[in-house]
Amino acid sequence: MTVSAYGSPGGPVVHDPMTLPADDNVNSYTFCVELKGSQWFLQKGKMIAYYGSIDFNGIGHGRLDRLVRTSFHSPLHASDWVVAEGSGKMLLADRAFDVNSYDLDDGNLTIRSGNLLAFQPSLSLKQSIVPGFLTLIGTGKFVAASNGPVAFMEPPIRVDPQALVGWADCPSPCHHYDHGYMTGVMGGLRAMTGIGGTSGEEHQFEFVGAGTVLLQSSEALMAELATGAVPHEPGVPGSGGAPGHQGQHGQQAGSPRLPGQLGDLQRRFGL
Amino acid sequence: MFRLQGSKVLAVDMTGDAVKAKNGSMVAYDGQMAFKKMSGGGEGVRGMVTRRLTGEQMTVMEVKGHGTCWFADRASEINLVNLQGDKLYVESSNLLATDAGLRTGTSFTGLRGASQGNGLFTTTVEGHGQAAIMSDGPAVLLRVSSQYPLVVDPGAYIAHQGNVRQSFQSGVTFRTFMGEGGGEAFQIRFEGDGLVYVQPSERNTIAGDA
Repeated sequence: MTVSAYGSPGGPVVHDPMTLPADDNVNSYTFCVELKGSQWFLQKGKMIAYYGSIDFNGIGHGRLDRLVRTSFHSPLHASDWVVAEGSGKMLLADRAFDVNSYDLDDGNLTIRSGNLLAFQPSLSLKQSIVPGFLTLIGTGKFVAASNGPVAFMEPPIRVDPQALVGWADCPSPCHHYDHGYMTGVMGGLRAMTGIGGTSGEEHQFEFVGAGTVLLQSSEALMAELATGAVPHEPGVPGSGGAPGHQGQHGQQAGSPRLPGQLGDLQRRFGL
Repeated sequence: MFRLQGSKVLAVDMTGDAVKAKNGSMVAYDGQMAFKKMSGGGEGVRGMVTRRLTGEQMTVMEVKGHGTCWFADRASEINLVNLQGDKLYVESSNLLATDAGLRTGTSFTGLRGASQGNGLFTTTVEGHGQAAIMSDGPAVLLRVSSQYPLVVDPGAYIAHQGNVRQSFQSGVTFRTFMGEGGGEAFQIRFEGDGLVYVQPSERNTIAGDA
């Protein structure tokens, strides 16, 4: 095999700024963004290399304040994001997970906070009502990571909570418990006594309505990113704010309460 | 002769010659093979002392024989590098195997090494032959040339070869200390003529979130 010193025909592909794609994947795990005096938002620490002159600035610093106002509606977690601006080509990657870009055309998409890597400022980022999720609204491109390739599904569908990456165009997401199984003789016994264990699939997310649901092909979760605290107010999910009646609130943590379960006796007797 | 079987297993066909490989990385072989642990990275007493001093410890074995030997390590992606008299700089933890004819040594990296959390020294591989380096996720090869200098995140850097100058650039400003840093506080800038290998994943570095 004849090989020239640096990079060779027949050898591994060598990239330079001319051969790197513009706003496309280099391979399944690396994404290349082309900046031409434009800006991108990216999560801290996801840039692995760049050609050209690119500046990285924390959001919320003077000059960029306007950007935060126009496309960054959650100043609460602005410290996890930086703005890349300048001209050149920049490679993004995240813990060797699959990365993909998605185009939104005057649409909306809600995504698990840890999965979003970068997005164009033409999109605006908002915190979802669902805790731990972010919503992108508008027109533009964003880059997201997933553990394994992403599958696109049409609702109505029930999905495993760990496999859910996000959803687009407002299907209605809700929790679904396999009530039939859990209250049946076998399932009920198991749930009450803990003997025999559970299949681990009694709890699902259900989506109905028109739209698309994004699933990753592995149930290994990516690290959650703090999405910032929501205001402590009654009626705001995940805020921990005291609801009107304190008594009901304590039951929400942990496993679902089934009617007739032992735990309920305690509550009924006020213990 | 090195070849990849899939992207995570290195197969080496040997006819009486030898390779140096990371200790314990053999997963299978056929034919006749002898495995000999080499102290000090196979660099003799001098190597033993410098590697101990520099912290670039590397336990290496020499594999010699007739047949095929397969190597793998923790399902890391493997990249083959052909060396034609030039020098490859790689972290010892990323080096899987080299032709026995290649010389290995250590070299000082200065601040770059410190920012990577890998110590101040790196391993060099020099000569004519093949080497196999490991990465977390398939490595991307980026060319550095005079008109295209390259900037790399220290956590994603795994190796480079060729005639390349590296300098350390820091984006640390007062904002970093206010928690509003650019997230890419430390960067390595490569200039000259050569290749840089980056992996699609970042090691934890000292300045990881700064």
